[in-house]
Amino acid sequence: MASVELKGLTKRYGSAAVVDRISLHIEHGDLVCLLGPSGCGKTTTLRLIAGFVEPSEGEIYVGDRLISSPALTVPPERRNMSMIFQSYALWPHMTVAENIVYGLKLRKLARDVIAKKLDAILTTTQLAPLAQRYPGELSGGQQQRVALARALIVEPETLLLDEPLSNLDANLREEMRFEVRRLHDAYRYTTVYVTHDQSEAMTTADLICVMNGGKIEQAGSPEEIYNRPRSEFVARFIGSSNVLKGKGLDGGRVDFAGVALRCTGEAVVSGATTAVSVRPHDIALSAKPPQQTENVVPAIVVRQVFLGDSRDYMVEAKDGTQLRTLTAAEENIPQGSNVWLHLPPERCRALLG
Amino acid sequence: MTIAIPATQPPRKYGIDFTKPVLYGFAAVLCVLIVLPLSWLFLYSLTDSKGALTLANFYRLFTESSFYDPLVTTFIIATTSAIVCCAVAAPMGWLVARTDLPFSGVIRALVTASFVTPPFLGAIAWELLAAPNSGLLNKIFRGITGAEPDVHLFNIYTIQGIIFVISCYTFPYVFVLVANSLDRTPGELEDASSILGGGRWYTARRITIPLVLPALLAGALVAFLQAMTLFGSPAILALPAGFHTMTTKIWSLFQYPPKPELAAAASLPLLVLTVFLLRAEHMILGRRGYSVVGGKYGAPRLIPLHSWRWVAFIICLLVLMLPVFLPYMALFNAAFSPVATTFLTFKNATLHNIQFVLFDLSAASLALKNTVILGTATATIGTMIAVVIAYVTARRAVTGWRVLGFLATAPIAIPGIVLGVGLFLSYTRPPFVLYGTLWILLIAFVTIALPSAYQQLQAAFRTIHPELEDASRILGATRLRSLWEITAPLLRTGVIATWCFIFVGVMRELSAAIILFTSETKVISVLIYDLNESGDLGAISVIGIGMLLITFAVVTAVNRIPGFGNVRFRN
Repeated sequence: MASVELKGLTKRYGSAAVVDRISLHIEHGDLVCLLGPSGCGKTTTLRLIAGFVEPSEGEIYVGDRLISSPALTVPPERRNMSMIFQSYALWPHMTVAENIVYGLKLRKLARDVIAKKLDAILTTTQLAPLAQRYPGELSGGQQQRVALARALIVEPETLLLDEPLSNLDANLREEMRFEVRRLHDAYRYTTVYVTHDQSEAMTTADLICVMNGGKIEQAGSPEEIYNRPRSEFVARFIGSSNVLKGKGLDGGRVDFAGVALRCTGEAVVSGATTAVSVRPHDIALSAKPPQQTENVVPAIVVRQVFLGDSRDYMVEAKDGTQLRTLTAAEENIPQGSNVWLHLPPERCRALLG
Repeated sequence: MTIAIPATQPPRKYGIDFTKPVLYGFAAVLCVLIVLPLSWLFLYSLTDSKGALTLANFYRLFTESSFYDPLVTTFIIATTSAIVCCAVAAPMGWLVARTDLPFSGVIRALVTASFVTPPFLGAIAWELLAAPNSGLLNKIFRGITGAEPDVHLFNIYTIQGIIFVISCYTFPYVFVLVANSLDRTPGELEDASSILGGGRWYTARRITIPLVLPALLAGALVAFLQAMTLFGSPAILALPAGFHTMTTKIWSLFQYPPKPELAAAASLPLLVLTVFLLRAEHMILGRRGYSVVGGKYGAPRLIPLHSWRWVAFIICLLVLMLPVFLPYMALFNAAFSPVATTFLTFKNATLHNIQFVLFDLSAASLALKNTVILGTATATIGTMIAVVIAYVTARRAVTGWRVLGFLATAPIAIPGIVLGVGLFLSYTRPPFVLYGTLWILLIAFVTIALPSAYQQLQAAFRTIHPELEDASRILGATRLRSLWEITAPLLRTGVIATWCFIFVGVMRELSAAIILFTSETKVISVLIYDLNESGDLGAISVIGIGMLLITFAVVTAVNRIPGFGNVRFRN
C-alpha cells in the first residue's frame, strides 16, 4: 500500500543535474539503501522524496498517489513520512520527551494515548531514565536513539534516513546498524536509507542502489551488487576490485596481456575495449606454471606484505597492469619472482563500457 | 502500537506563494531607504541653487580654502588617529591574547568600556579635564607648580587634542580585530616554527606578525574611517579652536543661510572614500582564511613575561586611564559638584544637577520622550526587517536573496552625516515632506541600524541548523508552525539582544540627527550637544552617566550570548 515509486526524477540547479532521470520502485516494507560517494545526489534524492526539494522533472508516487512533480509538490508535512537527519536535528529547547511526542501532538492525539505511546517507545529505545533531559545533555548514541524514537513514534508510512550513523564512533555505529535493521524488521515501514558506507548498506538493506553522478549505476541485493557488479564504478566502490582493460574477442573472451580471458557478466563486444573486474581473493597465485592453461596470466611480484592471516601481493602483468591478490600467509614468494595467476572465468566480470 | 493517522488528502497547491511579494516588498523598502537619499545627494551636488546642471560645487570644494582646508584637516586627523590607534592597540592586543599578562580579562573589559562610550561624551569629558583654563588637569598642574592662572599644561582645543580624543575611542576597533585574530590563530602554528629551530623573535617576525598583519591593516582602515566620519568630537573640540573638519563643515552649510548643494557636494568625497575603504577592508580580511587551515588545535602557548608581567599590566592600565578612568571621573565630578570644573568634596557635593535635569530642564523631558519613542520604534521596525531578511538569506528561501542581503548591508557604507544630508534633501520636498517630524529621524535610524542588526540576526540564524525546521515539517507541522514552535524560541535571545542594541544605538546617534532635528524633534544626543554649546556641563554629565549605565547593562547582558561578541556601534 505504501510502495514508493520514482519516475524519471531529475533535479537541476542551474544547468547541472544533481539528480539525473532516476527511476526506482520500492516495494512496501522494503529497506532500500542509496549508496554512493559524497556529491552523487543521494541526499538530494532523499530530500526530493521528503518534499523539501521540488523536482525539475519526473514524478514521485506513494502507492498510486502522486506527491511530487514539477507542477505540484505536496509539502513535507502532508506526506505522512518520517525522517532521521544526519545532524539528528533534536530541538535543543525541548526535553527528550517533548521532542519525541512533538509529532503526536501535531496529530492531536488524546493525552493518555500520547503518554502510553511515549512510555512504550522510551522502553524500546532504553531512553526512559533520560526523558526529562535536554538533548545537549546526552551522548551521541543517546541523541541518535532519541532521533529514532521521534521518527518512529508517529508510525509513518515511509521512513527516511539521511546518514543516520555517520556521527557515531566506530563501535556504536556497528551496533546501531543491526539495531536499524532489527527495528525495520519489527515495524516494516518502507524505508529509504542514505549512506556512503558500504558495510552499513550491506548489513541493513534489502536493495542497494549504487549512485554516481546523479544516476543509479546499479540496483540489486547486497549479494548481487557485490558478486555481479555491472560497471567499473560499482566494482571499485563495493569492496576492492582489480579492473583489467583489454580488447573484446569473440565468445565472451577478452584479450588481456596476450591471454584470452573467458569472462561472465555483460556481453563482450568484439573489438571494443572492455573492462573486466576480478576481486583480489578470487585470484589464485602460484609460483609454478599451473597445469591448466585457460585464464592463466603470467606476472612478476612487485611487492608483498605479510598481514598475519594472509599475504597481500602486488603483481604486474606483461602489459604493465598491476593486480592485487591475496594468498595464504605461508605462500612466501620473494619480490621479482615469476608467478602465474589463475583468474576463474566465473569470477571475471566483464563490465559495461 | 496503533494510532489513527489522518487520512492524507489529494495533492494540490497549498495556499498562495507569499515568497515573491515578500521579496519585492522588502527590496522596494530597502531601495527607498538607500537609493532615494543617495540619488538626491548626487543630483544636488551637480546643480546650482536654481536647479541648473553644473560642476561649480565641486570646483568650489577643491579651490576655496574654506572647503579644502577642512578636507586637509580631516585627512591629517584621520591618518594620525589611525597610526596612533594601531601603535596603541596592536601591542595591547598581543599582550592580552598571547602573553601571561595578569588580569587580561579586566583589560579586555576596560577596552570594551571605551568601545561603548559615545565619542561625543568622551570629548565633553576631556573638555572638563583639559580645557586650557578650567580643565581639572590644568588646575592640578597649577596647584602643584604654583604657575600663573593663564599657564596651562594641556589644551584640548587643538588638532592634537582632537586626534588624542578620537584615538581614545577609536583604538578599540583595532584592538578587537587584532586580539580576535590572535585568539583565532592556533598556537601550533608558532610551535611548528619553534620545533623547526625558529627562536622566539624569529617566530614572531616570520609567523605571528604576518598572521595578524591583515587584521592590523583592516583595523587601521576602520580607524581612519571612524575618525573621518565622526561629527561629535570635532564639533565639540574643533569649532571652539576655530577650524573645521569635513563633517563640521557639512553641518555648518545647513546653518542659516543653508547651502544644500554645497553640502551635497562636500558629502560625496566622504561617501566615496567610505565605500572604497570598506572594500579594501573586506579584501584584506577576506584573505585571512589562510591562517585557519583545517585540523584540531589546542589553546595557544602563552609567552611568559616574567618580571615584565606587572610592568606591562600597569602600562596597560595607564593607557586605559585616558579613555576610561579619567573621563568617567570627570563626568562623575561634574555631575555632583556645584560647578562642573570645581573639585568635588564631601562639603560641596550636591544633587542640584540631577534635580535640574529631571525637573527644571524642559528640553530634557521632550528629548527623553522623543528618544524613547524613536528608540522603541526603530528597534522594533529594524528588528522586524532584519529578521525577515536574515531568514530569507540564511535559508536562501527565495531566488534573489543575495540582493536583499546586499541592500541590507549597504547602509554601512553611508556615513551618518552623509545619510542625514541625503534624507534632508529627500524629505523636505513634496510628495514626502517629513522634515520636522519624528518620521525622518525614524527613517535615518532604521537605515543606520539595519546592517549590524541584519548581521547579528544572520549569525543567530546560522546557529540554528535548517534540519531543525525540516524535522518539524516532516513530522507534520506547516512552515509557519515550524517557525513558531522551533525557530522562534531558539531565536528569542538573539532578537531581544538585537532590539536592545538598536535602542542603545539610537540613543548614541548624533551625526545624522544633528542635520535632521528641529526644536520639536530633539533627541538626547542633540540635547547633549546643545547643552555643551550653552555650557551646562553638569547637566550633560548627569545625562551622560545615565546613558553609560544603560549601555553597559545592555552590552554586559548581550555579551553573555554566544556568537554576539563582536558588535560594532556606529558613531
